[in-house]
Amino acid sequence: MKHNLLYIFLLVVLLPSCKKYLDVNENPNSPTRPPINGLLAQSTYQTALNVFRTGSLTANYVQYFASPNPASTSDIYEPIDASGTWTSIYNTMTDIYDMEKLGADVGSTEHQGVAKILMSINLKLLHDLWGSVPYSEALGATTLTPTYDDAKTLYDKSLALLDEGITLLGQSNSTFKLDNALDFVHKGNKAAWIKTANALKARYLLLTTKKTTFSADNVLAAVANAYTSNADDAQVTNFDIRNPWAQVALNNAALLLGGFLSTQYVNMMNGTTYGVTDPRLPLIATLTKFGDYRGTRNGVGRVGTGINQEESYISTTGYFSSTNSPLIIISYAEIKFIEAEARFRKGNDMPGAYAAYLDGIRASMNKIGVSTANRDLYVNDPLVSVGSGSLTLALIMREKYKALFLNPETWNDARRFNYAYKDFALPVNAVLTTFIRRLDYPSVELSRNGANVPTVGSLADKLWWDQ
Amino acid sequence: MRRLLTLIFFLSPFFLFAQKQVTGKVSSESGAAVPFATVKEKGKENTVSADGNGNYNITVTGNNAVLVFSSAEFQEKELRVGNNSRLDVQLASSTEMSEVIVTAFGIKKQKRSLGYSAAEVDGEELLKTRQPNLVNALQGKVAGVQINSGGGAPGQGASILIRGVKSLDPGKNSQPLFVIDGVVMDNSTNTVGQQAEVRGMSNRAADINPDDIESVSVLKGGAASALYGQAGSNGVVIITTKSGKAGKLQVGASISYGIDEVNKFPDVQMKYSQGFSGVYDRNSFWPSWGPTVADAKAIDPTHPNEIFHHYKQGYNDGSQFRASVNMSGGTEAALLSSSLSYFEQAGTIPFTTYKNISARVNGTFKFSSKLTFNPSVYYIKSGGYRYNADRFNESLTYWSPRWDVKDYIKPDGTMQSYGNNNPIFGAATNRFKDDVNRIIANMNLVYSPVKWFDLNYRFGMDQYSDFRSYTAPGPKGLVGERTYEDNGMGFVNEYRIQNRILNSNAIASFKKDWTSKFNTTLRLGNEVRDQYYNRLTAEGADLDIPDLLTLNNTKNRTASQYEERYRIVSAFGEFTSSYDNFLFLTVTGRNDWTSTLAPGNNSFFYPSVSLAGVFSDKIKLPSWWSYGKLRASWAEIGKDYEPYQLNTYYNSYVLQSSGQVLWTRSDSKGEASLKPERTTTLEFGTELRFFKNRLGVDFNWYKLNSRDQIIPVSISPTTGFTSIVSNAGEIENKGIELTLTGNPVKTKDFSWDVTVNYSANRNKVLSIKEGLSEIVVASQFGYVGSRVTLKYVPSYAVGNLYGTSYQRYYAGTTDDGVTVRNDLPIVIASTGSNRGFPVRDVTQRLLGNSQPKWIGGIVNTLRYKQFGLSFQFDAQQGMEKYNQLGNFMSAFGIAKYTEDRDTPQTYNGVLSDGTPNTQVVYSGQGVKPDGRNYGAGYYRNVFRGVSENFVEDASWVRLRNVTASYTLPTKWLGKSFVKNATVSITGNNLILWTDFSGYDPESSSFSAGSTAASGFAGFTYPAMRSVLFTINANF
Repeated sequence: MKHNLLYIFLLVVLLPSCKKYLDVNENPNSPTRPPINGLLAQSTYQTALNVFRTGSLTANYVQYFASPNPASTSDIYEPIDASGTWTSIYNTMTDIYDMEKLGADVGSTEHQGVAKILMSINLKLLHDLWGSVPYSEALGATTLTPTYDDAKTLYDKSLALLDEGITLLGQSNSTFKLDNALDFVHKGNKAAWIKTANALKARYLLLTTKKTTFSADNVLAAVANAYTSNADDAQVTNFDIRNPWAQVALNNAALLLGGFLSTQYVNMMNGTTYGVTDPRLPLIATLTKFGDYRGTRNGVGRVGTGINQEESYISTTGYFSSTNSPLIIISYAEIKFIEAEARFRKGNDMPGAYAAYLDGIRASMNKIGVSTANRDLYVNDPLVSVGSGSLTLALIMREKYKALFLNPETWNDARRFNYAYKDFALPVNAVLTTFIRRLDYPSVELSRNGANVPTVGSLADKLWWDQ
Repeated sequence: MRRLLTLIFFLSPFFLFAQKQVTGKVSSESGAAVPFATVKEKGKENTVSADGNGNYNITVTGNNAVLVFSSAEFQEKELRVGNNSRLDVQLASSTEMSEVIVTAFGIKKQKRSLGYSAAEVDGEELLKTRQPNLVNALQGKVAGVQINSGGGAPGQGASILIRGVKSLDPGKNSQPLFVIDGVVMDNSTNTVGQQAEVRGMSNRAADINPDDIESVSVLKGGAASALYGQAGSNGVVIITTKSGKAGKLQVGASISYGIDEVNKFPDVQMKYSQGFSGVYDRNSFWPSWGPTVADAKAIDPTHPNEIFHHYKQGYNDGSQFRASVNMSGGTEAALLSSSLSYFEQAGTIPFTTYKNISARVNGTFKFSSKLTFNPSVYYIKSGGYRYNADRFNESLTYWSPRWDVKDYIKPDGTMQSYGNNNPIFGAATNRFKDDVNRIIANMNLVYSPVKWFDLNYRFGMDQYSDFRSYTAPGPKGLVGERTYEDNGMGFVNEYRIQNRILNSNAIASFKKDWTSKFNTTLRLGNEVRDQYYNRLTAEGADLDIPDLLTLNNTKNRTASQYEERYRIVSAFGEFTSSYDNFLFLTVTGRNDWTSTLAPGNNSFFYPSVSLAGVFSDKIKLPSWWSYGKLRASWAEIGKDYEPYQLNTYYNSYVLQSSGQVLWTRSDSKGEASLKPERTTTLEFGTELRFFKNRLGVDFNWYKLNSRDQIIPVSISPTTGFTSIVSNAGEIENKGIELTLTGNPVKTKDFSWDVTVNYSANRNKVLSIKEGLSEIVVASQFGYVGSRVTLKYVPSYAVGNLYGTSYQRYYAGTTDDGVTVRNDLPIVIASTGSNRGFPVRDVTQRLLGNSQPKWIGGIVNTLRYKQFGLSFQFDAQQGMEKYNQLGNFMSAFGIAKYTEDRDTPQTYNGVLSDGTPNTQVVYSGQGVKPDGRNYGAGYYRNVFRGVSENFVEDASWVRLRNVTASYTLPTKWLGKSFVKNATVSITGNNLILWTDFSGYDPESSSFSAGSTAASGFAGFTYPAMRSVLFTINANF
């Protein structure tokens, strides 16, 4: 009996204390609920980096860059594994998703609105590279193997997200404000975000020029509510240590080769292709040891050792690749070229198209820091100022190509334009007989969500809007 | 301490009463003296120790006194004194039946009663190799235990794996639990700090001074380690430190000094000098693609006559030194044993070092015949400068052999270089240091009030701090200064780690002899383990004063911290019954309550049962068959998971340039419903001895299944996570273990013992999480897409390596998309820039497996009078590893085979239409005599991009150790205070036989704690060959 009492005593005393003793599994290092402006910082910063990441995938396809190595997969259209970029974009979308949910929870329409716009940008990046990707079942971990949504549906969704964002940002009842210091793109400026949403809308609507549903008027309507000067540009200028393109340039200088300019790009800029020297080139690229600018032919690789300045690279002091260079999501210059193309396609406003074309060039040169004299010298060159009657789509596309250096939007343009830039050639050793039109799905998806991944026939297969 | 001495002083006189003197000599059956045997009067607190020649002298209470003679490695023997005043005694070697082995919780059991396989290695045996790392000292000694020393870095960690990889989780430690004197001891290899995983950090068991070890027991299977529960699911290594023996104060000392050198270098070409495409350039980045040495000399008169073997030139001879002293003595009532040791090692990579200072005190105090108290304290200070071996080898690879890498520093203190980074300057200035201060303390109370009951309580603590710093000076700002790339603008990073394990266990034992033949033991126990880990990181970059290495001198500073708690409470029981000392049945059960699983899932029970039968006791066997035993066991173990995996968290980071804090959802999804994973082991074995025990066989078969594994499964990033921790997947290990022991010669003057260990393990991934096709464990860079990846794929073995290959000509046969068909010809390109060369196949194919098919060891111990000789061969056979160094050596024209660059040749294979290839080509660069421009050449364009070339057969056989010793004859020592002395010379890793082309394939590019370590042996800290001289003396 005495013993039994002892046991009961032990059970009663020890069990609850044991339970308490074991209750140490609350993580002291990380919260389960983040600050909403912390998510805003992450979402805006990473979205800009995703533009960089996508830009580095497409830079060789549009021949801004060429690989320093012969027959490099990035040049010759062999399938590349874009798992890193894919993962980064979905990671960012995850934080945007949480910011939107948290915004809805606490009644912050401003955060919800920005979330919609950022989501749209990232979704559109995926759409442009792959077409069909997971979205409706994605991000919430409701299923471990999300299905893939139809590409056209995603395109419509990304447009709809912009409209939803504009509406939300138009409301004035937000419980929280965008934190100026933590909004990396527009420093908490709602109006600037609305302009950006319209700028993106113009860009998206222009994508369908090959489709019968294309409407130049819709594009122009969006343009009307978009940017009016370079100051409106959506860009990020704060980085962990330096602009990621600056890192590429720095790595190259430290023998981790990269940022080699393509022959195509250099020739378009140095007068070889068009007979007019572009004053932006010295502000972007390095001089060779021969005292001129030379590109590397895509698929051929470097001619020399790659470290003796036998070709041009993006410069560590260049406009796009210095420590604090802006990482541009979308710019006023692009809007002017969108306007030029829309008016050109509409056909009834050539002077307007021509003016927008010249404005686009000037905007780009002003942004890059070309002196007024040099800018005007270029703009006034008869090969540039051809007169509104002689304006061609090729001219608009050529100047847009130059102005959007390293921006992934150029690959959309190239595909819409069927790569019809002057002298644009297939890379040496290309494994396709035509220009590349899409990416293969990354290995991270094939190994983890293989059953849902759509089959890709050929990288020359055109996405829905390109057909 | 003073009180302790007082106690000894007061207690001693009570045991000193005398009536009769007995002398004699203790010897072994072969007649050799048994030095320092313990001679005790039975039932009395009266003990003496024999001298170095086995002679003893004891004063006993009278003719009825019974003397008990004992010594390690021998069976105890009792003799009644009677009328004798001289009693010579022969002790039987304890390799015979009454052998006792230390099992779970220090419980000593008769080996014959065990229903599972367990092995014990004697401390002397471990000491022979003079290996500074205890784990390395176990190499080849125990069947079923795979030990890989990570490399030759001072203090470098070694990995130990018992019966194969048991977890699908690549991040999970598959290494056994280490227990020292009953205290759970940390054996992690902490890789906190920049690239610490490639710096050869120590595994924490390396802190232990091998001189302190009395014995090591290895519990391999589930039934053996059942009492330890989940912590023991990968096996248990039980270390027992030396304890004192009653009698006179005994003092032992040993000093050992050794010289180390790299045991294997890759073959390099000595024909071509610096430059590219055959063009000489003394400042070129390219180390070896230039013209021939003769041509280069013609251009540059300062060019040396011969280029360097830059790998050999980059490494030094290392050295190691250990001095240790141990003292023990006391009475039966109060015994003390202590030791002090100093170890110092200088590595083969310049400026790498390791030091270990340890001090230990063990005591045994018998307060009465019922109560014994055993305290012990072990203090260790260890650490050193660890350089990034991966980086060192990579930089050495870039370094042109035209230049002497040893000429690394200018008089003004800046880097000496023709252009590339000088790796030795890097090792001298870019420095990572760890400093561990550790205390392992233990107190143990044994209370035995009555014969049938005792209570054993132990409280142990293993606590250490590990202060790490990683520093580099900034540029001096001199004109024309060359800076070392990794040093940047200089930095100071500090890591403060604190780790603590508290361990409390109580065991009550009830013994009952029901009849003279049937007896039982019941043990009930409770264990509580409490772990705490805390880390503070402070990093500062950009030094203001270039060489003032303190955080106070940095411009950009960041700090972060991490803290983790883990607790587990367990109750367990063990019931043992024996019938007639020939049939033994043991049943165990254990229940764990863990802090890391949610209530409802956090309590779990698992049982084990084992049976042993010594059939030779009951069946009449031929006379040459001395002993036979069969054993069988089955065990299940439940297992929890790491802390903080039940929720999803958010992590933050700071932008250094502008200070914003950014929050992001963790990539890992927590799962509140995690339940414990289960491992089941089935084991059968037998022990046989023949010819009066002179030949022994121990054979074991086991099968081990781990299911419901809690692993972070990689999931599609589209879900919003990249991994989810869940119960998924099963892995199976099956294998055999065989140990043969023999004494071919056993005479008074000469004896020869042989032990052969052999084991083979086969494992297979049975399933992984539904919807997934593979788990990527690790992957390492290779040029042009030749990255090699270690993956787990269902229905394939653990440790498969995948990468690119040469395209095979299939014609008619189907390609399964995985196998590399070595029976088919290689396709040679007939068009394009690579025409005439083999075609690359970029499909990820299975190129090899990193787990050995079998491992084995042969230990020979010979003794002739005063001379001892032992030698040991080890082998690991049938595994492949990725040689990343080889990949780089082809890319940079360093490998010996690249000397064929100016020789016309035809590659073996067929064209795409199946016809034999006849194209004559050159493998070199640029325009060759045939007029064709080969560009960067075959080795850069094709060869380096084919992983198949670098996933190499890593099988090896080595002469692990040779030790020769000589014990000085006692007469030489005469009446000096030295009782005995032994001098010995030891050679470790003397000969290596392997086809692997890189460094010693035993070394690894990953840290010792990593499962991935097995597959990658490229830029490692190369293993070493050592010769050591040792003097041991007892006073």
